[in-house]
Amino acid sequence: MKAVILAAGEGLRCRPLTLTRSKVMLPVANKPILEYVIRALSKNDIKDIIIIVGYKKERIMDHFGNGIDFGVNISYIDQDAQLGTAHAIKLAEPLVGEKFMVLNGDNLIDEETISDLLRGNSGDISLLSVSRDQITGYGVLLIEKGKVSRIIEKPRDRISHLVNTGIYIFSSSIFGEIEKTPISDIGEYAITDTIQQMIENGASVTNITTRRTWIDAVHSWDLLKANSVLLGKTEEMKVSGSIEKGAVIIGDVAIGDNSVVRSGSYIVGPVIIGKNCNIGPNTTILPSTAVGDNCSISSFTEIENSIIMNDTRIGTGSYISNSIIGSHNIIGPHFVTEVGKNLNIEMKGILHHADELGSVTGDSNIIGHAVLVRAGKMISTGCTIDSGVRILKDIPQDSIVV
Amino acid sequence: MCGIIGYVGTRQATAILIDGLKRLEYRGYDSAGLAMLMDNGISVYKTEGKISNLEAILPDIKSTCGIGHTRWATQGEPTTINAHPHVSGNISVVHNGIIENYEELYELLKNEGYEFISETDTEVLAHLVHKYYNGDLVSAVIEGLKKVRGSYAAAFLCAETNKIVAARKESPLVAGVGNGENFIASDVTALLKNTRKVIYMNDLELVQVTAQGMQFFDFNGKQIEKKIELIEWNIEAAEKSGYPHFMLKEIHEQVTSVNDTLMGRISEISGDVILPDITLTLEEIRKLERIVIIACGTSYNAGLLGKYLFESLAGIHTDVEISSEFRYANPVLSESTLVIAISQSGETADTIAALKEAKTYGCHTLAITNVVGTTLSREVENILYTRAGPEIGVAATKTFTSQLIALYLLSIYFARKRKKMDVDISKRLIISMKLLPGMIQQILNNKEFIKKQAQRFSNARDYFFLGRSLNFPIALEGALKLKEISYIHAEGYAAGELKHGPLALISNETPVVALATRSSTYDKMVNNIKEVKARRAQVIAIAGMDDSEIGKYVDVVIKVPTTDELLYPVLSSIVVQLLAYYSADALGCAIDKPRNLAKSVTVE
Repeated sequence: MKAVILAAGEGLRCRPLTLTRSKVMLPVANKPILEYVIRALSKNDIKDIIIIVGYKKERIMDHFGNGIDFGVNISYIDQDAQLGTAHAIKLAEPLVGEKFMVLNGDNLIDEETISDLLRGNSGDISLLSVSRDQITGYGVLLIEKGKVSRIIEKPRDRISHLVNTGIYIFSSSIFGEIEKTPISDIGEYAITDTIQQMIENGASVTNITTRRTWIDAVHSWDLLKANSVLLGKTEEMKVSGSIEKGAVIIGDVAIGDNSVVRSGSYIVGPVIIGKNCNIGPNTTILPSTAVGDNCSISSFTEIENSIIMNDTRIGTGSYISNSIIGSHNIIGPHFVTEVGKNLNIEMKGILHHADELGSVTGDSNIIGHAVLVRAGKMISTGCTIDSGVRILKDIPQDSIVV
Repeated sequence: MCGIIGYVGTRQATAILIDGLKRLEYRGYDSAGLAMLMDNGISVYKTEGKISNLEAILPDIKSTCGIGHTRWATQGEPTTINAHPHVSGNISVVHNGIIENYEELYELLKNEGYEFISETDTEVLAHLVHKYYNGDLVSAVIEGLKKVRGSYAAAFLCAETNKIVAARKESPLVAGVGNGENFIASDVTALLKNTRKVIYMNDLELVQVTAQGMQFFDFNGKQIEKKIELIEWNIEAAEKSGYPHFMLKEIHEQVTSVNDTLMGRISEISGDVILPDITLTLEEIRKLERIVIIACGTSYNAGLLGKYLFESLAGIHTDVEISSEFRYANPVLSESTLVIAISQSGETADTIAALKEAKTYGCHTLAITNVVGTTLSREVENILYTRAGPEIGVAATKTFTSQLIALYLLSIYFARKRKKMDVDISKRLIISMKLLPGMIQQILNNKEFIKKQAQRFSNARDYFFLGRSLNFPIALEGALKLKEISYIHAEGYAAGELKHGPLALISNETPVVALATRSSTYDKMVNNIKEVKARRAQVIAIAGMDDSEIGKYVDVVIKVPTTDELLYPVLSSIVVQLLAYYSADALGCAIDKPRNLAKSVTVE
């Protein structure tokens, strides 16, 4: 069986991190989300993978190439116009066989998630669901006699706990049905509309509910939770870089090639540090932190429960907690992220909730000395922030803050 | 230059050979052919044009043993008759190289009654081996090749035995070790899909390949032991993976390749460059009086930046020479001279010959190359691998920036050893270098803007690239990139040279790319921009993000992230590469295989 992964969208709610990469490429435990999806497929012997790309596709293609490093064979299809999931799936028609799987590239899953679907597969369409207390923002399923009777997108009432994961097994007859699907109110062709239409015409849609991993990072800060879950699970925590005498390493800590942890540093796992990093001397890194490749963390800096992406430098005496820092930031000494609880974060006029958050910083910012960021505030990309500034509101792209 | 390949095993050979040849297409693509061992002798298929033409005429053949060739004509037109393999009786041959005593051998064989049907020099190899063949292919090849003067990597197939015999002299050849199958090829990229275990052959060595194993011989017929090397490159790097062209893929790979070149070679805390492969002693480095850089094409442009770096940072007088000129110029060299050869492939014939010439003067030698185990790497005392991974696009992109990084590393290394650079300066430079990959990503994020500019000016007849001091090599490289893939006439000039002639060519239809990043010559550069602007040229400036002034004088500003003055050439390179790529794309050119050009030039 071949698999089609939908990876063309941007992930607007994960801005500013998605201004420079698509949501599927956001790193969790130093691997892009999409990599978990591909590994889960590969372990189930699904080796022929078609990725529908669009927004910032080069980042995806650069990372996965033709798939050989991941033991799979990848082809790419370009979805130029963002016309919805059904349109994206239709593009794969020339490449798939009689039965094929469809998945979202931006949901974290593991091997067993896919195994559950494969085991339960029957009927015209198989659909994987998970049971959730909170269903806000999801599509939910109504079941009759073991079969899906309706799919309801983002219902107001809690009419069901079964959330649609967007992972399906289709047969090639779906393509004919997609052509008959009408365009939705928001100008997209949704695959759930196609399925609903097929149910009405008597098709049998099997529901399989899994208890295995399925994490949907809706907001950028959800990555922190996903990061801590996956760091706890990572099988191979290995040290291939060097650790100087006098550095203390406790628990599961992975350190990549050519990275150096200098004397006096204190690292408590689970922590993952990428390749080519310079940590310390005298740096503290506390649980559930991922530091990407080619980063530099100077002395007397403390980082906990955070994600630091590739090519970032953090100056001496900084404090970073519950925060996400994008790629290629140059951050001066004494950078402090304030942490707040039960925050209401406004994005495009809509309030979103975060249980606990420091701040989120995009890519390629240059931050001066002694900058403090108020809890829940975001710095976009390409900003220059002068020394001694307190960031009290979100900083838009390419700003200069003096 | 040509590519050869051979397979003996149990699988259907044609598919493997065709796939391998496609990976060798960068070595030439004007005609191609296969010789397949059949139950009743050898069948030969060949045709003009690319490998896909050959594939089209190929019937379904069950054979499990064969040799193949993709040609880049040097002697004899690219026609079907001149395409390899060439046949003499029961012997067929594929060959990469040049037979220098062709005339002599031709007469000799002609007198013995051999008939020649092609215009190639290779045909003599087939006849020679046929002449000496009496049941043992290995000794026939040895005897035949002993009569040959010139260069070759050649593979022979005989109708009577299920094996291939191959030999090399001054042309690349590798053997690949499989499971119940074995391979030979001009280059490892042709083998990677099937095996990562390879054996590099040296000059005047010969291999007999069967499905069960391989035996290696010298030219006295004595069996020799060879070491198997494991290639870490994966085939992914040799495929386009979603990109329309290898060139665009390779431009994007620079985020990684620059990082790979730096990896493990710098310590940002001590400000030192660590180069364990450099065997020059401290004493030898301090006594260096002169550096001579020899290179061709893009590598030459990298060398020009090297000159600037070695002189300004390490205080060593440096000359940059074009390999093919250097050899014949009676060079003045001594034991206190370091000769640095820069070649992406490590097989550039002119550079290797120039290096051999230099060695006769007792100079120290050093190579900057991208491919492990090549002829060049075996000729030198010191080696600095650029680690950029295989590059398929004919226009060099990532290997160029990696060469620049290698030169920065080497010049800082020398400067530190010679006590010409303080640790605070080297530290600052090293930290700035470490930030380059992220900055390259920033430029790539901005590529739509560069694309727009390229499209806007793609109908220009001429293009000018201007730069001063360390931007000058990038002006040359920008012009070279544009010329080779878009066929737009382009010139790179030192901006100060403008008023000594070229200014006469500037009109309102000429786009001028001004490399105007911050440096000590920035003000002079601005004056030069005003000069061309006064002639109503369209000026595209490449400038630092922090430069808010330059926009007043030019039509378009392409901004690159702010970095150390010395390092701007790396960032400007990415911009000129994208400019060339999108210009060629707008004009619909064959970007990965420009007309008349091959990837590496292994003939002189």
